[in-house]
Amino acid sequence: MAHLTMKSKNDWRSRLFGAGSFKLWALLPLLVVLVIFTLLPILQLVQMSVSELEFVDGELVSEFVGLGQLDNLAKDPIAGIALKNTLVFVVAVVIIETVTGFCLAVAISRTKTLAVLYRSVVIIPLLIPPVAIGTMWSLMYDYNYGLFTTILIEMGVQYPPLWTADPDLALISVIIVDVWHWTSFMFLIMLAGIESIPPPLLEAARVDGATELRAIRHVILPMMAPTILVAMLLRTILAFKVFDQIFVLTSGGPGTATQVISMHIYKVFSEQFRLGYAAFLSLMVAAFMFIFVAFYLWASRVVRRRLG
Amino acid sequence: MNKRIGNFSRRDFLKAVGALSAGLAANPLLHSNIRAFAQDIAAQPPITILINDSPWFPGFAAMVELYTESTGNEINLDVTPFPGMLDKTRNAVQAGESEYDAVAITEQNIPFFYNSGLLRPIADIDADFTLDDHIISYGDAARWDSDLGVNGPMGTILGVPINGNIQLYYYRRDLFEANGIEPPKTFDEMEAIAEQLGRPPRLFGNANRVNPIWWEFGAYVDSYDAEYVRLEDDGSWSVGFERPQGLEAVNRWLRLGRDWAPQNYADLGQGDLLALMASGRLAQVHMVGAAAPNYDNPDISVVGGSMGATVVPGVTAEARSPRTGMWVMCHPDNLPSERAAAGLEFVKWLTTKDNQLAYAKAGAIPVRQDTYEELATDPVVGWWASAFAESTPFLHPETRLPETPLIRDSVSTRMAQAYVNEISAEDAVALMASEIRAIMEDAGYTVA
Repeated sequence: MAHLTMKSKNDWRSRLFGAGSFKLWALLPLLVVLVIFTLLPILQLVQMSVSELEFVDGELVSEFVGLGQLDNLAKDPIAGIALKNTLVFVVAVVIIETVTGFCLAVAISRTKTLAVLYRSVVIIPLLIPPVAIGTMWSLMYDYNYGLFTTILIEMGVQYPPLWTADPDLALISVIIVDVWHWTSFMFLIMLAGIESIPPPLLEAARVDGATELRAIRHVILPMMAPTILVAMLLRTILAFKVFDQIFVLTSGGPGTATQVISMHIYKVFSEQFRLGYAAFLSLMVAAFMFIFVAFYLWASRVVRRRLG
Repeated sequence: MNKRIGNFSRRDFLKAVGALSAGLAANPLLHSNIRAFAQDIAAQPPITILINDSPWFPGFAAMVELYTESTGNEINLDVTPFPGMLDKTRNAVQAGESEYDAVAITEQNIPFFYNSGLLRPIADIDADFTLDDHIISYGDAARWDSDLGVNGPMGTILGVPINGNIQLYYYRRDLFEANGIEPPKTFDEMEAIAEQLGRPPRLFGNANRVNPIWWEFGAYVDSYDAEYVRLEDDGSWSVGFERPQGLEAVNRWLRLGRDWAPQNYADLGQGDLLALMASGRLAQVHMVGAAAPNYDNPDISVVGGSMGATVVPGVTAEARSPRTGMWVMCHPDNLPSERAAAGLEFVKWLTTKDNQLAYAKAGAIPVRQDTYEELATDPVVGWWASAFAESTPFLHPETRLPETPLIRDSVSTRMAQAYVNEISAEDAVALMASEIRAIMEDAGYTVA
């Protein structure tokens, strides 16, 4: 027994200090950076989420409340609405942008003439800051002076839609703006995926008599599945955190029609000054996202297994 | 002036200086007064002020320029959009040493900063400092009573008002005169005018700001004697929505905001109301006083010279209760004494009567009653300056408690829901009443 313990200690020492230990030590700076810039802020967030924080006499006073924030969550009339709106928003934009991005990528990858121009035009929305996009669309949606209403009235429409002022239409209006903004992101990833498919595979399919649709169905889609899943995963994470566009477009209204979770956290933190509860909500969102990511990874594995 | 003037363009600055110069040129006495006063100011170290980028900023910048010219004391400005002011101020006052010598704090953030203990009491900077009697109190906005946790006349002075923004009632004077209509003093008269003048979609009778609701709506609940919360004589607090007048205020607000408004009434912000009024599509509106100079700007308005302003109507003429939305200039506690003193020196200079006159003519909103009274006959700014002067006795500032942001949030949310019929007016009132009661009780207040 004593012999075994001695051996294990020697193994441990030789791994840390022996030949070939450099690869372990080389990771140390990364580990330090990770702890300082990732782990410590998360630990700070966890600590805040179980506390009530307040500035008193120039000092930040923290009182431990444990799971007391759950009471605040139960009393919060907006958190549930915001979460529901966020889920509807995420599901809608991810599906629409994936399908649109894929179709655009297939179409443009087949184009020989003006391909560079098409690619440049499609990615323009991605280059515009979200606040500018929100302002631009807000002006176009404006019921009294906006472009859309003016065109519809000129076309003889007597009651043009109220866009962001109609509680039944406001979330759809916001989704349209997001699709306009982010489809180019999906397009870029999809295009890279399509262009990485070896050309002989597609040529072989065509030699075998496959139509364009069949080639997409039986060659491009299966080959692209991992890329599509990664793109959807990234887009889901980003869409869950949507804030600036909605802040400028509707500020969460009318009523609570476009209230999303990031905006609610912002209000709790910056307008209500409830630092602890805002941290708690942030952790809840992070947990929700973690479940989403786990689901995507599981789905990704299943798809890969089925595709062999 | 330092180049850190944010997104305030050179053209804006030249306009502001031009306007100020014109005002000064027309009044040699005023000019000599400023010079004379400036000679009394000792050399100060350079200071940096955090100031918000708003319609009245050109007037503030012009005064900074004049201060530097007159005294040789340098001021740097960090000009920041309104949404960024809170975080910049919070970061500055919590730092080891503040980067700003003076910070402009909007009324809605007063409870947070005054209650935090992160600001330097003015008496600690200048033991002889007193607030000039002519500076409007705005509900003791300068003072914080730390025993009561609210602004109060016995409180410590923590800031000095530098912008006297309040709510005004604006109307199309040309239309009113053509139709023989007197400016309204009551909500009933407002409704009658909306009905008489409204010709949608070319001219709307009235519209309310919805995004957010709590500020303008406050003038309604206060007028109906249903303030969100009120400190009673016995020391307990009452919740206005628990009184029957609360529902009356809500119904009045909904009616005036919906029945004569554009169809997108549920999505109207301050900019929308300004655009509707400036483009001649609105007969009357209740909105922020600082908007007034915009209506005379021919670049953005077609109603210049046709506008009138007066006190915001109420349920009765005597119960008119316009809200305040002013700014105070404060000094972080984490400052060396000489920097805080230099910051206060500028604030004292800015709030003298003569400099407040110049301030108004440069497009800013003064804080002195004697300034408004003197400007009331001015051919350019008199139409709105007189409305400010007239409003002072009726001003009804929000009760500023550390819990006020939570109360505002409840009101904004429930009223926004009622506005688009997500919930009924009765449900909105019941929910606001229970939520505000819970907020107050959870914070340890005795609620009657």
